[in-house]
Amino acid sequence: MAVSLSKGQKVDLTKTNPGLKNIVIGLGWDTNKYDGGQDFDLDASVFILGTTGKVKDEKDFVFYNNPKGAQDAVVHTGDNRSGVGDGDDEQIKVDLARIPADVEKIAFTITIHDAEARKQNFGQVANAYVRVFNEEGGTELIRYDLGEDFSVETAIVVAELYRNGAEWKFNAIGSGFKGGLGALCANFGLSVA
Amino acid sequence: MAISLQKGQKIDLTKGNAGLSELVVGLGWDPVEQAGGGFLSGLFGGKKAEFDCDASVLLLDANGKITNKDNIIFFRNLKSPCGSVVHLGDNRTGGGDGDDEQILIQLNKVPSDIHKIVFVVNIYDCQNRKQDFGMISNAFIRVVNKADMKEITRYNLTENYAGKTALIVGEVYRHQGEWKFGALGESTQDVSLSTLVGKYS
Repeated sequence: MAVSLSKGQKVDLTKTNPGLKNIVIGLGWDTNKYDGGQDFDLDASVFILGTTGKVKDEKDFVFYNNPKGAQDAVVHTGDNRSGVGDGDDEQIKVDLARIPADVEKIAFTITIHDAEARKQNFGQVANAYVRVFNEEGGTELIRYDLGEDFSVETAIVVAELYRNGAEWKFNAIGSGFKGGLGALCANFGLSVA
Repeated sequence: MAISLQKGQKIDLTKGNAGLSELVVGLGWDPVEQAGGGFLSGLFGGKKAEFDCDASVLLLDANGKITNKDNIIFFRNLKSPCGSVVHLGDNRTGGGDGDDEQILIQLNKVPSDIHKIVFVVNIYDCQNRKQDFGMISNAFIRVVNKADMKEITRYNLTENYAGKTALIVGEVYRHQGEWKFGALGESTQDVSLSTLVGKYS
């Protein structure tokens, strides 16, 4: 039975699931409930962070154009351009044992592609969630539904995995940003030319 | 003091406001004076077509669908079958200050299978008259508590809607046992209410 989290809640991931090795982070959303006629493209991205809370190297920013990071311990399985259908819209695979020791946190984000030009924001997105499941067997371990907390934002830090001693924990962050992916990159110490 | 919303924002209506039972939803717009007008165009351009915007209300179920065509409230069907939603009538010019069209909603009489009450505006006969929402300014929607006529919230539509002929302005919707209002501000190129409605059928 998956643990359902509210914003700000933290739970043990590996401690309560001993032997857990490969996890999949699934992110989902529904868009265009009133069909404004514009394409609505949401992107999941991952920031792999050191102790300072910043990205050390641009290779540790995993997104549709750079689908692997943390020495291939983190793999983005690809872009979904419409958000159509049930289930996860995008997925990221994480091999916990292979994450380099200098990685402290892995932040999972969702941004709206070209939000400003398309006049879109998270007010038009419904049923956004993140879930964590065991790649082996597919058992869902953690789920966080984002609910109605977002409106004018164009980027959300949905959740993060972080080290706690020898274990990994999960934090349902749910913090919104204006300014899309660019604002997130700046927040995590990447300059986008 | 009414709360002013931006596109995408949502606000609680009934939560923390338990006495709220009847709403007046007002919609307004002004036709923009077309450039190149004036005395001569009045002489040679012929009579300008009137600009007739119509506000309509769609009552949707939990899946966002219209299950009964009588749940489309517009100038030819001013009252929902349940009686909870009443359109106060058509305004054919958009002239004057204040609300151009108004809708009354009795929240506690809305049937439980209705989850969303969506407010749309389209331009009557827009194809023949070659009109679109780029020719409209100061469009807004506001929600008023009928008991004291105080404005609860307001959303001014500030985008340029040139080329668009239908606006999905806002929605009053159920959320966890309460009613909320969302500022939608979506636009489409549907040329009539029936094509717009087709998307929810």
